[in-house]
Amino acid sequence: MRFSITLLVATSLFGAAEAPKVNFVRDVAPVLNKAGCMSGTCHGAAKGKDGFKLSLRGYDPQFDYEALLYDLGGRRFNRADPGRSLMLTKPTQQVAHGGGMRFEINSDYYKIIYNWIAQGVPYGDPAKDSVKSLDVEPKEIFMEKPGGTTTVKIVATFNDGGTRDVTREANIDSNIPDVAAVGDKADIKGARMGEATLLVRYQGKFTSVPVTILNPAPGFAWKQVPQNNYIDQLIDAKLQRLKIQPSGLVDDAGFLRRASLDLTGQLPDPNEVRAFVADTTPAKLKRSRLIEKLIASPAFIDHWTLKWGDLLQANRKYLGEKGVYEFDEWIRESFTANKPYDKMVREILSSSGSSNQNPAANFFRVTRDPKPTMEKTTQVFLGVRMVCAQCHDHPFERWTQNQYYEMSAFYSALGIRPGYEVGEEIIYNQRADFDMKHPKDGRVMKPAFIVPASYGSSGPVPTDSHRRMALAEWVTSRDNPFFAKSTVNRVWSYFFGRGIIDPVDDIRASNPPSNPALLDALTKDFLDHNFDLRQLMRTITNSRTYQAGMTTNEWNAGDADNFSHAIPRRLAAEELLDALTLATGVRPNLPEVPPDTRAEQLPDPHVGKDGFLDLFGRPSRESSCECERRSDISLPQALNLVNGQTISDAVAGGNGRVAKAILSGKSDRDLVEELYLASFSRTPTAAEAELGLKYLSSGSRGRAALAQDLLWALVNSKPFLYNY
Amino acid sequence: MASNRFAGMLLLVPATFICPALFGAGPSYFRDVRPIIQRQCQGCHQPNIKSSNLDLTSYEGFQAGGQHGPGVTTLLGYITGEIRPRMPLGQPPLPVDQIQLIREWIAAGAKDDTPVEAREDLAVDKPIVYTQPPVINALAFSADGKKLAVSGNREILIHSLDGAEPPRRLPGLSDRILSLVFSKDGSTLVAAGGTASRFGEVQIWDVASGKLKRSLTLTGDTVFGASLSPDASKVAVGCTDNSVRIVDAAGGKELFKIGNHENWVLGTIFGVDGKRIVSVGRDRAAKLTDATSGAFLENVNLLRGELAAIARHPTKDVVVIGGEDRVPYIYMMDRAQNMKIADDSTLIRKLERQDGSIAALAWSADGAHIAVGGASPEVTIYDAETGKRTAACKGHQAGIYAVAFSPDGQTLATGGFDGEVRLYRVATGELAKEFIPVPITENLRSQK
Repeated sequence: MRFSITLLVATSLFGAAEAPKVNFVRDVAPVLNKAGCMSGTCHGAAKGKDGFKLSLRGYDPQFDYEALLYDLGGRRFNRADPGRSLMLTKPTQQVAHGGGMRFEINSDYYKIIYNWIAQGVPYGDPAKDSVKSLDVEPKEIFMEKPGGTTTVKIVATFNDGGTRDVTREANIDSNIPDVAAVGDKADIKGARMGEATLLVRYQGKFTSVPVTILNPAPGFAWKQVPQNNYIDQLIDAKLQRLKIQPSGLVDDAGFLRRASLDLTGQLPDPNEVRAFVADTTPAKLKRSRLIEKLIASPAFIDHWTLKWGDLLQANRKYLGEKGVYEFDEWIRESFTANKPYDKMVREILSSSGSSNQNPAANFFRVTRDPKPTMEKTTQVFLGVRMVCAQCHDHPFERWTQNQYYEMSAFYSALGIRPGYEVGEEIIYNQRADFDMKHPKDGRVMKPAFIVPASYGSSGPVPTDSHRRMALAEWVTSRDNPFFAKSTVNRVWSYFFGRGIIDPVDDIRASNPPSNPALLDALTKDFLDHNFDLRQLMRTITNSRTYQAGMTTNEWNAGDADNFSHAIPRRLAAEELLDALTLATGVRPNLPEVPPDTRAEQLPDPHVGKDGFLDLFGRPSRESSCECERRSDISLPQALNLVNGQTISDAVAGGNGRVAKAILSGKSDRDLVEELYLASFSRTPTAAEAELGLKYLSSGSRGRAALAQDLLWALVNSKPFLYNY
Repeated sequence: MASNRFAGMLLLVPATFICPALFGAGPSYFRDVRPIIQRQCQGCHQPNIKSSNLDLTSYEGFQAGGQHGPGVTTLLGYITGEIRPRMPLGQPPLPVDQIQLIREWIAAGAKDDTPVEAREDLAVDKPIVYTQPPVINALAFSADGKKLAVSGNREILIHSLDGAEPPRRLPGLSDRILSLVFSKDGSTLVAAGGTASRFGEVQIWDVASGKLKRSLTLTGDTVFGASLSPDASKVAVGCTDNSVRIVDAAGGKELFKIGNHENWVLGTIFGVDGKRIVSVGRDRAAKLTDATSGAFLENVNLLRGELAAIARHPTKDVVVIGGEDRVPYIYMMDRAQNMKIADDSTLIRKLERQDGSIAALAWSADGAHIAVGGASPEVTIYDAETGKRTAACKGHQAGIYAVAFSPDGQTLATGGFDGEVRLYRVATGELAKEFIPVPITENLRSQK
C-alpha cells in the first residue's frame, strides 16, 4: 500500500540542494508525536478527533501514514503544492484547527513535513529507520540539595546504526513532579528532597533516569541502629546514602498490636498485652517467639485466606453459593498446609474438570473469557497490567498489542460448560475453533510469552488445545522475572502499607522499585525457601525495619518511600469490625453465618453487603486489582463511627465488656485500664487514666453509661482506628 | 469570480512573505492582529463550529460578530475578562502586549489592511506549475467520449484523448476538485470540491467556451460526491456539516439543505426521474430523500461500514454503494414490501469483497458493467447482471479515487494516489494508455 514517487526530482522549500532526505518513520512521525497530534485527547483518541484518527502516541506508524495520505481522497496533503497541505495549514493555524497552533510556519517541524511532502511522502524502511535504542546522559541524576537544575541529552540509535539527538522530540515525564520537575527544554529541576524517576519515551522506546535529591541540612551523622537481618542492612544502605536516619524500635505493646493485626487481622486480648509486656525475655527473642505463635494461630489462616480470596475473587456473584464456599475452603487448605506458593498457583492455573471436585478451577469461572482471564493472571500473579495493550501498544511499557493477543492465546482453548449438579461447571480444553485472532486483521495469534522463561519441558510453546498448561508452568517457573518478585513485593506491602514497587500490581519500567537490592534479596530468599510464604512473612516481621516505631526524627520525617519509620494505616474493614468486637465484647450481627463468625472469616462480600464492612472499603471482589480494597477516610465513615448503629449497639451491649466488668465488681481504675487495653492494646498513660477516672465519677447517669461513653470515645479515636 | 465575501479565504500566503513596508507604524490587522486571532480564537470561532455564532477566520466575520454583538464592541471585553467568561476559554489569558495591540488597533478604527496580493494569488494568466503530479480525485468523459476531464491542483484539465490538442486548463478557486460531471448533452461541466477546512465550491462550466458560468461557495469545507440530475437542472453535493445541498444548476443558487445524515456525506446520486436522491456518508447510511422537498424517505441499506461512493444504473432506480467494509452492495431504491427493523430485502446483490476499502464506483452507460476502485491499486470490473468479475485492471501503484466509463462503455478511466490517468479496455482489463495529466516542471520552487 505504501507508495512514493521516485521518478521525480524531489524539490524542497528552504533550499532544494541542501534539503535532507526525510521519511515518515524516521523524521515525520516523531514530529507529529511531539506536536501532540497523536495524544489521547486529540487524534490519538479511540475514535479520533473530528473525523481524523491516528494511533495513540503513534504506536502504529503504518496506520498513521495511511490516515494522513489516503483518507478521503488524499485530503490532508497536497503533493503539487506542499505549503497548501491541510497537515501543514491546520497545525500552523492558517486554517481553523480545534487543536490550536502546534508549530510555527517555517519552524523546523514545518520544514520537515514540508520537505517530506515535497519529496513525495516516502514511508522509509522500518528495518533501517525505526529506533533500536535510546541513550540518556546522564544515566542517573544526583543533587546534593533541592533547587539545582541540570539537563539531559537523549540520543536515539536507529536500526541502521545511525544516531540522532532527539532530546527535543522525546517525551520526558517525572513520576513525582514535585521532587523532580521537567521543563520544556529537557531541563530537570530538583524541587524538593526525595527520589523520582524520569521516564524517557521516543517512538515506542523507553528508558528511565533515577533522580535523587538529598536533604541539604547540615550535621547529618549516621547513627547505626541494630540490624536484625539482611532486610535492615539493605534498607540502611539506602537510608545512609539519602541521609535519612531510621526510627528506633516500637515498644513491646505497640509491636504486639502491629504484628497481631498484620499477621492475623486481630487485636491482642488485654491479657495477652499484659503478659507480653511483662515478659522479660530480650526483645528480639520475645518478638520472634510471638511471630511464631501468631503464624501458627488459626487466625493467621483466616487472615490470608481473606487476602487471597480478594485476589482470586471468591464471590458468589460468579461462583454461586456452593462454589464460593468450596473455593474459600480450597484457599484455606492451601494456607493451612503452607503449600509452596508456586504449587498453589500452578494448581489454580492448570486446574480443569468439575468446579465441585476441583475447586481451584473456580478461578476461571469468574472471568470466563480468554482476554480478561489473561489480564487477571498477569496482574495477580505477575503484577503486570496488560489491559492497555488490548487496544494499542502499552504507552508506558514495552508491551505491544500483539503481545496482548499472544498472551491471551494461551487461554483461547479454555472452555466452560454446565456440569451435572446445580451450580457445577466443567472447565475443559476446547478441541476445535479455539484460535485467538487479532482484532485488526483477523490473523491467528499463536501463544507466546511476554518474556522468555522456562516452563518445565522446554521447547517450542505448544499451540494445541493444552496450551494453557504451558502458561501455568511459565508463570510459576523460578526464572520467571515477575512471579517471585511480584509476590514478595505484594506480601511486603501488606506489612508496610506500601510496596517496594507501588502500586504492587503495576510493575513497569516507569514504576521502579524504591530499593531494587532489597527486592532482589527478598526474591532470592523466597526462591531459596521454595516459595514459602510463611518464611517470607517471618523474615519481614523479624526485621528491625518492620519493628520500627512511627515516631520520626528530623532526618526521616519527610520520608514516605524508604521504610525508615512506621506509617499508620487505617484498619481494614474486617479488621475494624473484629477489633470492635474485641474492644466492646459484643459481636455485631452478621447475617447468614454462625453467630461466632469473625468478619475475617467471611467467605465473600455477599455477607453483610452494603453494611459497615462495605462502608469501610471491603472489596467487592469484582476486580482482581489490589486497589479494590479502599483504605480512604470518608465523611460517611466518620458519621457512622460517631452515630452509627454498629458502634452504639456494640458499646452498649448488655453482654459486653463494660457490663461484664461492672458486674464483676471492677474498680474504676481497673475498668479504665481494661478499656484501654482492649481498644488501644496498651495501658493508659497516667494522664489518660486520671481523665478516665474523673469522667467515670462525674454526673449522675450511672457508672455503666459513663463507662460506655468512655469506650465510645476510645473506639472513635485514632489509636483504635489505626495500625501503627 | 472571487467575490469579497471570501476575502479571508486566500490568506494562505504566510504573513512573513509579505513585504513589511506595506504597513504603517500603527497596529496592523494583517500583520499583528490576525495572527493572534488565528492562534488563539479560531479553534472554536470557525465556520464549522461557530461558537456563539461567531466566525473569526475572516475580517468580515469579525465585523459581523456573533450573538453577543459585533467584534469591535465585544472582542476586547472578552479577552480582558471584563465580559465573562474570559477568552480564550479555559486557556491562560492573552499576554498583556497582545491585548494592548488589539486595543490600539480597535482604537485606531479596527481597519482591515490585508494587502491585495495576499487576498488573491490566483490568476488565469499564471498557470499552476507542478513539480509532482497531484492526487487524482475526479475523472469524467465528455458526452462524445473524445475528451476526458481530470482534476488538478486548483484547476481542471480537459484532455483530448486523440492527443490532437494540448489539454485545456480551467483554473478555479478551489484547491481540490473532488467530483466532475458532464451534462448528457455535453454542454455543461459541473465540478465540485473546495479547499479543505476553508470552503466548498460548486463550479458550473460552459464546455464550449471554457468559461466559468457559476461558482457557488458553500460550507466551511470541501463538498463531496457531486451528481447532476438527469435533466441537468440540479446539482447535489455532500457536505461536511452532514447535509446534502441541492443547487440550481442554471442560477447557481442553493435550493435545499437536507440534514438527514449524522456524519459527513461523501456521495450523492439522483434517481432516474430526478425526483429522488440517494446519499451515502460516514454515518454508514444510504439515505433516500425527496429531491423536490428535501423530505427524508427511508434508509436504502442495512448499516455496515462507512460509505464513500455511490453510482446508479443508467435506466433503473438501482444503486451500487461501497466504502469501508470493502463490499460493493447493489440496492433497489424502491422496496417491494413494507420495511421491518433490520430489513435488508432491497439488497439485490453483493459483489466480491475488495482488497481494500472502496473509494470510487461507476456504472457504464449501457448498464452492463460496474467498476470498483479503492485502497487496492487494482481496479475491478463486474458484470452488473450476474455480479461476476469480468476484468481486473492492473498498472496503478497505489489506491484509486476516481473511475469513469466512456459513454460507449468500451473504456474505463482510472486515477488516484499515484497521479497518473490510466485508460483500460473494459472487455479485457487491458491497459490502453497511461499519462500524467499535468505538465511537470522539475525543480522549480525552492523558496527562500
